[in-house]
Amino acid sequence: MKAVLGLSLKARLSLLYAVLLILSVVIVGFCSYWNVWQLFINNKSAHLRARAKPIIAHWLTDYGLVSVEHPASKLTSETAAILARDLTSKQSSAIILDNTGKIIAKGKRLPEEPDAPPPELGQFKKAMSGENEVTYFANLNGTSLLVMLIPLRPRPGSPKVFGVVQLSTGLREINRMLFRHGAMLMAIVALILILGTVAGYWLIGMSLRDLQGLVKTCNAISSGDFSKRVSVNTTQGEIGRLATSFNQMISQLESIFASQQRFVANAAHELLTPLTGLKGCVEVLLRGAQDDPATTSRLLKAMYREVNRLIRLCEQLLGISRLEGSSHVHRQDVVVSEFFADFMPQARLLANDDRLVLRQGPYARISVDPDLLKQVLFNLLSNALRHSPDDTPIEITWRLLPDFVEIQVRDHGEGMDATTLSHVFEPFYKGRSHTCSYKRSGLGLSLAKSMINAHGGTIKVESAPGKGTIVSFTIPLSSN
Amino acid sequence: MMERDTKIKILLIEDDPVITEFLRTGLKYEGYDVVSFDNGIQGLDSLNRNEFDLVILDIVLPDIDGFEICRRIRAMGQEVPILMLTVKKEISDRVKGLDSGADDYLTKPFSFEELVARIRALLRRSGRIGQGKMLNAAGVVLDPSTRHVRIHGRNIELTPTEFGLLELFMRHPYRVFTRETLLNRVLGYDFDGGTNVIDVHISHLRKKLGDRPARLIRTVYGVGYSFQPGDDAT
Ligand SMILES: Nc1ncnc2c1ncn2[C@@H]1O[C@H](COP(=O)(O)OP(=O)(O)O)[C@@H](O)[C@H]1O
Repeated sequence: MKAVLGLSLKARLSLLYAVLLILSVVIVGFCSYWNVWQLFINNKSAHLRARAKPIIAHWLTDYGLVSVEHPASKLTSETAAILARDLTSKQSSAIILDNTGKIIAKGKRLPEEPDAPPPELGQFKKAMSGENEVTYFANLNGTSLLVMLIPLRPRPGSPKVFGVVQLSTGLREINRMLFRHGAMLMAIVALILILGTVAGYWLIGMSLRDLQGLVKTCNAISSGDFSKRVSVNTTQGEIGRLATSFNQMISQLESIFASQQRFVANAAHELLTPLTGLKGCVEVLLRGAQDDPATTSRLLKAMYREVNRLIRLCEQLLGISRLEGSSHVHRQDVVVSEFFADFMPQARLLANDDRLVLRQGPYARISVDPDLLKQVLFNLLSNALRHSPDDTPIEITWRLLPDFVEIQVRDHGEGMDATTLSHVFEPFYKGRSHTCSYKRSGLGLSLAKSMINAHGGTIKVESAPGKGTIVSFTIPLSSN
Repeated sequence: MMERDTKIKILLIEDDPVITEFLRTGLKYEGYDVVSFDNGIQGLDSLNRNEFDLVILDIVLPDIDGFEICRRIRAMGQEVPILMLTVKKEISDRVKGLDSGADDYLTKPFSFEELVARIRALLRRSGRIGQGKMLNAAGVVLDPSTRHVRIHGRNIELTPTEFGLLELFMRHPYRVFTRETLLNRVLGYDFDGGTNVIDVHISHLRKKLGDRPARLIRTVYGVGYSFQPGDDAT
């Protein structure tokens, strides 16, 4: 078994195929052989019976055995000898048995006529008890014989059986024909096996070729070449479907890989700006600015701000990568209105005035990580504050949806054009805005999206230039 | 001295406050006059009303981007040299920048020294400072391009460090340099060692210049050194 499992798929399939082929062909051959043999025997016995029936009928009438009270008494060796003789030919021989099983007459006279086998008691009893078609095989001096017992009755259907005719015939001819038939079958089986195995091997090879292509492509991809695809001749069939889904999977991987690379490149670019500032400040200090205390202090403060900006950026990046697996989400059941009662004073510190308007929604319990929810709202609020004039309100509200609560943050500021809108969730994307780009990282909304998605919710932005912006996101209701 | 008599005026348009801060401070220290704006509109406006010798331009700005500003400056018929700053490494940006009329291009993070060298090259190319200008003071003639120094017509041999010191002094006459600053600027920012290395080099330099009484390169006690050509009656 182990040796077989070690073989290649192609060899294994071919082997299996050959075994099945042999098995089925042998079974078919055997059945056919047996059927033909049955047919021959049936034919032969029908033939014997057909020949015997009229002879027996004539004999019964000729010797007055019909409709007598005790036909057995009338069965003498003389009358029986006549019947036996009539029933004997070159192919078959007959003997007549009385109701005790004793041979009372034998038909064989001429030497070319076959010998009759001795009667078998069991079979004789069956015939005596009225069974009409007792046939069996016997062996006499090495030749096999078909033996048939015909009960003798005064008239057809009569229950009285007063003797039994034993007809026997040689099977040599049948055996010869069967042998010829068998030989032919063997030849055909051998031919089918050879052709079948060759064709099967070829067919399996054909269908495995695509699989081998798949293996080759896999190898290329595992060495880093994501541009490779499996060439598929058809999209039908298991292998075609496998190749198609394989290609789809690789395309997915490729795009994920590309977006990862983009993310890393963007992150590096984003880090470069603050680093430029830091490097420049240090250089200017070293080149002599350090000799002036006022300048030194100014530059140091600028550097301090820049370092903080770098740290914030790194924290945001970490936040995004941490949320990739949702293991950092610590959900608990929270009543929305209670959450906001806690959150609004903190948010007012950020907004620094009364611009924040909370419109209470219906009672709802949500399953959420409150710290993450706060971060999301802080991000949305700082966007709203940044992109709207000081005298416009920023509204927060929530409503109930099936299975979810939808929370909405709305400002009446500059809004976004369609291009910005289609990119806002991309990490590092900064739209055109009147706000200096150094204050923005382009991560706020991506971070919010990751956080919401980690909860199983969704987030969307509706906005138009000059019309303000509405950001709404959903959080699942708590299940108990 | 050109650097002293007519100050070169630079317009800086950059929205990052820290970069603006160090560029202003550093360039002023190099002897340039810097005016800065954090958006394109005001920058262009100022360029319209004043005469500038050079424009330093960030590509990413809140209102109009650097390429567009460049195009507008050229459309106004201004020949002023423009140096662009960008974070992007892509060649296409460089091509786009030069196409839109910029003269040179620096990728962030750049070194300040590199920036100063580029500014000098741009100013020279546009003829705002003399071509391959010789520094000349108190009978000392220094050629920054060939690195030759002559004193009263006689050639003298200087080591690279001595040459660096002399060039720095002659570019910024009368300025008092601390030993620390001299060390950083001449031997590099990552030179590890005491500042008395500078004293050794200065003393060699004085010897070669024949500045025995230390009248040309003066010691400012407790601070450092300063180049004083005017006091010399030659
Ligand atoms: N409330 C808003 N109004 C107008 N524009 C917005 C608003 N929120 C976000 N944007 C635009 O979407 C861009 C991406 O936002 P975000 O991902 O939060 O990053 P950032 O940290 O730069 O704000 C912003 O640079 C801004 O152009």
